[in-house]
Formats: sequence, C-alpha cells, structure tokens
Amino acid sequence: MANWIPTWLHRLGSPPTFYRFAGAVRPWALALALITGAIAAYGGLVLAPADYQQGDAYRIIFIHVPSAWMSLFIYFAMGVAAFIALVWRIKLAEVVAMESAPIGAAFTFITLVTGSLWGKPMWGTWWTWDARLTSELVLLFLYLGVIGLFHAFEDRRQGARAAAFLALIGVVNVPIVHFSVNWWNTLHQGSTVRLLGPSHIDARMLWPLLTMMLATKCYYVASLFGRVRADLVAMESGKDWVKALAVEETA
Amino acid sequence: MTVSTGAACAALLRRDLLLAWRRRGDIAMPVLYAVIVATLFPFALGPEEALLQRIAGGVILVTVLLAMLLALDAMFRGDIEDGSLEQLLLAPQPLALMLAIRIFAHWITTALPLIIISPLLAGMLHLPTPVMGVLVVALLLATPLLSLIGAILVALTAGTRRSGMLLALMLLPLCVPVVIFAAGAVAAAQQGLPWVAPIAWLGAALVLALVLAPLACAAALRIALDA
Amino acid sequence: MSQFLDMGGYAFYVWTSYAVFAVVLLADYLAPVLRRRRNLRDVRARMARQGARRRNENA
Repeated sequence: MANWIPTWLHRLGSPPTFYRFAGAVRPWALALALITGAIAAYGGLVLAPADYQQGDAYRIIFIHVPSAWMSLFIYFAMGVAAFIALVWRIKLAEVVAMESAPIGAAFTFITLVTGSLWGKPMWGTWWTWDARLTSELVLLFLYLGVIGLFHAFEDRRQGARAAAFLALIGVVNVPIVHFSVNWWNTLHQGSTVRLLGPSHIDARMLWPLLTMMLATKCYYVASLFGRVRADLVAMESGKDWVKALAVEETA
Repeated sequence: MTVSTGAACAALLRRDLLLAWRRRGDIAMPVLYAVIVATLFPFALGPEEALLQRIAGGVILVTVLLAMLLALDAMFRGDIEDGSLEQLLLAPQPLALMLAIRIFAHWITTALPLIIISPLLAGMLHLPTPVMGVLVVALLLATPLLSLIGAILVALTAGTRRSGMLLALMLLPLCVPVVIFAAGAVAAAQQGLPWVAPIAWLGAALVLALVLAPLACAAALRIALDA
Repeated sequence: MSQFLDMGGYAFYVWTSYAVFAVVLLADYLAPVLRRRRNLRDVRARMARQGARRRNENA
C-alpha cells in the first residue's frame, strides 16, 4: 500500500535528487534555526531571571548544554550513517557520515570553550579534570581521528569507508570512556563541583534551553545539507547534472 | 593442496618470529626508547624519592604505551610492501585467525620485552617492591589490549601514505580506558586499596577484544585495501 | 541597557561564550557554501578547456 515511501527514499539516495532536495530544505532549516535561536537567546539572556547562586554567569548554559547535546547527537547520527554506508554501500550515507564529523567537532569545540568560560568564574579555574569535561575532550579527539583518517586517503570513497569504520568503533568507545572516566574520578577524588545539579530548574530557564536545543538541531540540518551539496558537486563533477548546474549558475 | 588451519597458523607464527629474530635490532628499539623516556623523568622532575614513587606507575604505563605506538606502525608495513598481505587476504584460512596470529607475534616481539624490563624501570623510579607484581599483571593485560586495538587502527591506515601522527590521534581516545584501569590498579595497590576490580575489568576487556578485535581488524583491512 | 550588557559582572565570560558560539557556527556554515561555489567554478573551467580543445581539433 504505502509503497511510495521506500520508492521515495530510494530516489532520494541518488545524488541529483538529493542535491535538489537539500537545496530546497536548507534555507528553511536555516531560517528556523535563526528564528528559534534568536528567541532562545532573548529568553535566556533577557527574560530568564538570574540564578540565586551563580548570578548571570549561568546564562552560558543556554549554549553550553545544547552544544554538548549536539556533540553527542551528531556522533550518534554519524554512527548510524556510517553503519548504513558500510552495510549497504550507499554513497550518500558515506557523504552524510563524513560531513557530519566537522559539524560535530565544531559543537564539541564550542562545548569545551564555553564550559571553560563558565568554569573560570564558578570553579576559579579554566580547566578541571572533571568526568564530563574529560569525556568531551576525548570525544573531540574521536572526531579529529575520523576527519584525519578520511583525509589521509587519496581515494575519497575508500577514505570515507575507512573513517566510517573508525566512527563505528568510536560509537562503542564513547560509553566505555564515560564509564572509565567516572571510575577514575572517584579513585582520584577529583573536583566534585557540579554546574548542573539534580535540582529542579525554573520554567523560565527551561524553555529557552529547549528552544536552543531545537535551534541547534535545525542548524545541524542546514549545515549538513550545505556540506553534502558541496561534496556531491565535487564527487560527481564529471556527471552531466553537475555540468548543467555549473552552466545554470553562471546565467 | 590445502594446508590445515592449524598448520597454517603455526607456519605464520614461525615465519613472523623468524623475521623478527633476523632483525633483532628492531626489537631492541622500543625497549631502548622506554628506558630513555623513563630516565628523563627524574631529570625533569628532580630526584626526590617520594615524588618519583608517586608517579612511577603512571610514567611506566605511558612510556610502555608510547613505545608500543612507535612499533605499531610497522605491524603490516613490510607485508604491504612485499605483497604478502594480499596473499593472506586470498588464503583459504580465515583471515581473522591469521591476523590474530600476527598480532600475537607482534605482541611477543614488541610488548613482551617491555614487560620484562618494566620492573627495572619501576626500580629506577622507586616503585615499592610489593606493587611491582601488580604493575606486571596490569601490563600483561593492558599491552595485548593495546596491540589488538592498535592492530585495527593500523589496518585502517594500511591504504594511506604516512600514518604515524594519525595513528597516535586515533589511538588516544581508544586507549584512555586501558590506561585508566591499568594505572588505577597500580595506584590502588600503592595506596593499599583493593586493586582486583580494575584488573578484572582489564581482563574482561581483553577477553572481549581477543574475540572481536581480529574480526574487526580483518574487516578494516578489507576496507582499506579494497582498491 | 548597560546593566544588561554588564551581566552582573560576568560580561566577559557570557559574551565571549556567545561570540564563540556564533563565530564557530558561522565559519562552519560558510565554509561549504564557498567550497560549493569553487567546485562549480572548477567544473566550468574544465568544460571551457575541453570545449576549446574540441574546437582546436576540429579546426
């Protein structure tokens, strides 16, 4: 009955179709990301009350936590795309996996920098070997490894497949690292200061946080589609549809 | 005529060990490297016994890890250059098993000498004698794990030109848990705390890696050499 | 307004965080846009070269 769904997905897997689809979706995703991001920033910076313990410094939470969330979410998305790429050898899945990595690395970097900027006034230090910060740093190295391996190959598709395999190993590794770093922290009695306690969070603080999470997710779609489009043009540069496109864009 | 799997394994192991023995100087390199690194620490930090004692376990683990990383790059290098790796890929015997033998041979030639000299390094850094046993056990479990994980990564970079720095970047996130548990066991033993739990975790991880890593290594090699 | 910008004394930390967030994501977004344009320009240049060669062969 609903035969059009697999058919549509199958068609979407072909580079020219996906190129057009991504081109159509991308401006909307970006607009949505900018609007929700602006609303969330206004809510977080202006409307939300100051924290009774941390004053206004806690407002970093509205970008720190969504970024941390995205750094893990994108890793998971990359893992799924990598799995599809390796099992079904779909070219588009390879491109999606490889182009997700720099976006995830960007969010991981933002998480580390904002965490450090938050930690300085709260803990009095830029860096502490706290379990979460350490796991995030390891995650950044995982991303850099995937990106590095991808670029080490001369053949793009071979590099993508090798890096996709590494990404899958990383998916297994992330929970192991988290567990071991937690254990390590209890052994060495590291810092026990928590930025995010289990304490309840005021609704006026919660909605900007959730809105920013939505904004970052929309941003991921917009950025990923832009990257995939750039990649498809490079990969299929000999094909007729790219040539037609090149001519079209001059006019 | 086909060779039985057992005979093929034995032949491969004998070949690898013979090749390593003919180039004995290469075996000495990681050991020499570890000795040099361990010697540099007292010079950098001062000869104070209490300080050296505190860092000894961690320093030795990191030193052994770096020395292994140094030798890791060569695991399949020669075989790729002379084409014997392609023959291994085409052989009727299961590739994962053959690779497990290779990894074992590589562990014997690089990690075992490091483990043998580790008590010497530990003595230089004033690690208390009762802890020495825990250190050796931790190394006996941690080094095969590193060899197995490293083999997957070396296989992935088999199709690339230069891989030294990249290998370190890829290995770091994967070796973090190994370092944490191995050094944790030594630190716990030094503080008089129970150290069996981290050792047991390492052992469990090693059993898992013994089964999965050769399979992953075989898959990685097929991807990296699939031209 | 200046009270808002001051962020209760944490102005440097809060605004630097938001600036890093904006700058990193902007760079991440613009890089592929430029890359796509460059790739298309390369395709056009190659087509022009091939066209010129074909005309030379015919002449």
